[in-house]
Amino acid sequence: MHVPPLIEDMARKFSGKLLLKSELNISEQRLNYLIKNGYILEIPSIQTKFTLHKCLRCFNMKPSYFGKIPHHPKPIIYCKQCIQMGRTSTLEPLYQWTGPKPTRHYPKNPLKWRGNLTHLQQRASTQLVKTIQQNDRLLIDAVCGAGKTEMLYEGITHAIQYNKRICLATPRSDVVKELAPRLRRDFPTIHLAALYGGSPEQDINSHLVIATTHQLLRYERSFDVMIVDEVDAFPYHHDKMLPKAVRRATKPDSATIYLTATPRFKQKWLINTNQLPTVSIPARYHGHPLPIPSKQMLFRLTKQLEDGQLPAKITQWIDTKQANRRFLLFVPTITLAEQLATKLDLPYVHAESPERHHLIQQFRTQSISALITTTILERGVTFPSIDVAVIQADHHVFDEAALIQIAGRAGRSAQDPTGDVTFFYEQTTEAVNRATTYAIRKNLEAKGRSS
Amino acid sequence: MNCYICQNSTEPDTTWATFLVTKSRLICDDCEQLLPTISGPTCPICMKPTHDAKKCPDCHKWSEHFTKDPLKRNISLYRYTPEMKSIMSRFKYRGDYEIIHAFESAIQSTYKTHFSDHQTIIPIPLHPSRQQQRLFNQAEAIVQKLYQPYHTNILARQDNAKQSKKSRYERITSLNPFTITENPPDKILLIDDIYTTGTTLRQAADLLTNYGAKSVESFTLIRS
Ligand SMILES: [Zn+2]
Ligand SMILES: [Zn+2]
Ligand SMILES: [Zn+2]
Repeated sequence: MHVPPLIEDMARKFSGKLLLKSELNISEQRLNYLIKNGYILEIPSIQTKFTLHKCLRCFNMKPSYFGKIPHHPKPIIYCKQCIQMGRTSTLEPLYQWTGPKPTRHYPKNPLKWRGNLTHLQQRASTQLVKTIQQNDRLLIDAVCGAGKTEMLYEGITHAIQYNKRICLATPRSDVVKELAPRLRRDFPTIHLAALYGGSPEQDINSHLVIATTHQLLRYERSFDVMIVDEVDAFPYHHDKMLPKAVRRATKPDSATIYLTATPRFKQKWLINTNQLPTVSIPARYHGHPLPIPSKQMLFRLTKQLEDGQLPAKITQWIDTKQANRRFLLFVPTITLAEQLATKLDLPYVHAESPERHHLIQQFRTQSISALITTTILERGVTFPSIDVAVIQADHHVFDEAALIQIAGRAGRSAQDPTGDVTFFYEQTTEAVNRATTYAIRKNLEAKGRSS
Repeated sequence: MNCYICQNSTEPDTTWATFLVTKSRLICDDCEQLLPTISGPTCPICMKPTHDAKKCPDCHKWSEHFTKDPLKRNISLYRYTPEMKSIMSRFKYRGDYEIIHAFESAIQSTYKTHFSDHQTIIPIPLHPSRQQQRLFNQAEAIVQKLYQPYHTNILARQDNAKQSKKSRYERITSLNPFTITENPPDKILLIDDIYTTGTTLRQAADLLTNYGAKSVESFTLIRS
């Protein structure tokens, strides 16, 4: 069948997505033509039953997350939960491509990387390829530093060779920015789109899309392979919206792969009941054990911090490090980060700090040797050869997963596989204990596997 | 209740005392602290912060340009800090209309302090194509918080060009984007979201004065 070039061009841009008029970016006249001729379907973005609304883009149903704009003859209802991605409202519908499917050329040998996988990585990789072939589901439970990315390469290659479209979704934009250049380097001939809020790139029928989980809200039946990174992390875990978005973005026949370092209760339950096939990688790619956190219980820590004092144990830790090691200092709140930054004369980052990317880059290139941070650097981002300390590890923001991830920042490089991890706290919490036993347990598991 | 700016809960830890005394809050403490109200000495005409409370150089230029400045004075509520910029961008460009609720009491008390009921209120009109896209006029959204009668049939917009994309020089020399559709009353209060160079407000004020208005003042949410 011959498809006119203009239609083919639009199929490539719009197919498998749910878009707003502003995202289509075509003239009113052309849009009307496409709707009339069955290429595009207009669907309401806000559904109302009795007095309850539902946003069909982000699945929001909370009444407090809908707003009202005065309008005649009746007010406009809009969704506030997903407004950062452009407004959905009773007057602003979504558009779905119903025209011909786009075609895609695909390279025969897309992978340029010529490294070797460890024995454990290879097991996971083989399992992954099998999952993709069978359109199945798989949970990969790999410790921080297991070499997750390389482990995906065989699967990605296989999918591309079978003309399958892949999405790698991750909760944090920092991770998208770190992964995209690596994958571009190792798969130089494929079309890859890196999507996050404010990203300049566009997905025009790409082979591989690397996106923050929120970007999935723009997709419907689009991917043959969905890889969800950090499945236990905020916001995926806390948000019921994202599992739904993942399901909608994938095709009915597709493979879904979940990656995690800290499988939590629900996933654990699924593993235990054999509902989700799992492969576990208890060792780091360099074969050295995970650093075991050292626990430092400090009397009256919270009170001292509130009074603007730093316990001697912490000052000592910092002083010793400052002499000879690079380190990250994790704190629970922005206020404490600011306080310590002034006191210790060190730079600090948090989710909203304007120099965030600049400082992370400086720390990576070793032009600064220490950084105070909130939990934003807890995962995804890697630095070689660093030590880490957590101040107020008993604070509620530091749950088990967060502490495991933070501990996982240390000892990442093969040249320098040991790192010091210290938790400073006043009261023992379950999270502190679990994060410590986690490392011990994984190291034992790894020993068992290699022997 | 959720904060109209950040969507977080505005409820303090509820006790019977707070439950009985406080009314529902529209904005949370964190956001309240971020709102940069204008304080200290300002230019008596345009409310730009100065150190001596004297008329600022820009306002001197306006007086020269028109012989008599058609805008008697401007009152603004907030400074245009990075936080305010992001709030306004969510309000105007993302179209989160309900953000205006967060400013309700501040708008009302400032109006009561500085203006009188004898002034006819006119929100600066938005170009129809913009209004169609945004589904509301931000100046009208502010006006509606006053719960006072206002007029949208005296001043109309004719120009298509996007004001914010022009340079300062272009803005000042560009043709007046407004037209008069009905004879204006004597005392007028113009309402807009933001005073940047003051050009838009003066173009409206100039036209209204030429058609017989005796005094034109303005009230803007932000002094940039
Ligand atoms: Zn929504
Ligand atoms: Zn707030
Ligand atoms: Zn002035």
